[in-house]
Amino acid sequence: MPGEAPNPNDQGRPRKRVSLIEIAGLFGFIGITSFGGGLTAYIRRLVVGQKQWLTDEEFLPGLALVQILPGANVAGLSIYIGNHLRGPLGAVVALTSILIPPFILVCILGFLYFHAGKTTDTRAVLAGITATACGLMASMVFEAGQKAIRGVFDIVLILLTFALVRFAHLHVPYVILIMAPLAIWWHRPRPVQEGAVESTKP
Amino acid sequence: MIKTLLQLAGLFSALSISAFGGGKVVLPSMHQASVGEYHWMSNQQFVDLFSISMAAPGPSMMVVSLVGLKACLPYGTAVALLGALIATIAMFLPSSILVFVVSKFWDEWKESPWRHTVERAMMPVSTGLILAATWIIAKTSIHSVPTALMGLVALALMLFTKINPVLMMGAAGVISWTFLR
Repeated sequence: MPGEAPNPNDQGRPRKRVSLIEIAGLFGFIGITSFGGGLTAYIRRLVVGQKQWLTDEEFLPGLALVQILPGANVAGLSIYIGNHLRGPLGAVVALTSILIPPFILVCILGFLYFHAGKTTDTRAVLAGITATACGLMASMVFEAGQKAIRGVFDIVLILLTFALVRFAHLHVPYVILIMAPLAIWWHRPRPVQEGAVESTKP
Repeated sequence: MIKTLLQLAGLFSALSISAFGGGKVVLPSMHQASVGEYHWMSNQQFVDLFSISMAAPGPSMMVVSLVGLKACLPYGTAVALLGALIATIAMFLPSSILVFVVSKFWDEWKESPWRHTVERAMMPVSTGLILAATWIIAKTSIHSVPTALMGLVALALMLFTKINPVLMMGAAGVISWTFLR
């Protein structure tokens, strides 16, 4: 990680100020060229690797921040990076630039869908696309589960959360209000001798 | 019309700050509200719109724009666009403000053991929510042997290869158009 880009805190080596237009250009590009998952890795490659606007030491705390907070990681990252480069205005420019192109495109697709969504041809195409989308979602369950399950109680938490949505028909904010305290209590920081039980923790 | 716009704003701003683990975790609520409670669309339309948003570029949360669009479509094209805009702003603004505010204190908090605790604790909760979201999509999208096969192939390809998911969706569209018409 270290040594790839100059440290911004180095005295006398101020980095070039990134213009708002450049921010809009890059985040607009990310917005229309990002497909499917792995977006945070893509943003890191462009912002840290290619453009060298941030070092990994600056980028990674931002990634950790948006992963712990609610909301789309992509939106959070653009706020963090934009703010880091040019303050609040940079954050607004980055967020709107990454959202506007996909927004326009998805609205066009939406109108097309409501115009032609009921024809036999469209239905046939959508049957394949929705089935595939379902497969993609299922793969996310596996990936998330792989990271989440470190003990039996994690499985209990997963199933309880699922049941509150599926059978109790609770809305997600209420599910979070019930499950987050329980999960946080279970995973609370413990003294070392107790913590030995949870030796699987990284 | 104003009522629908307010419902969109209220729903999505509440979901915005609940989306621990990304936009997909709030999909069950989006479905429940737009199909069950507000009757903006049918089950099939919801699943179609979600799949379209996954196949399109950009964050997968763009499904909120489509929900806003459909909710306001009965009032005309212009209002539909306004609905899409309001839904999108409501979904992205609150969580973005949160990121902005917390980033000011982040340097002090990031060493706290509680940071790791919260991150660790929310993982099973988001997994359960993504499972519930998958369940909703599966109930509507998997309705025959061919669709079940396509879903399973997509799952296997995602888990064991690095094929771009958008390519998969395109191929699946062509395959099902060829065989399921």
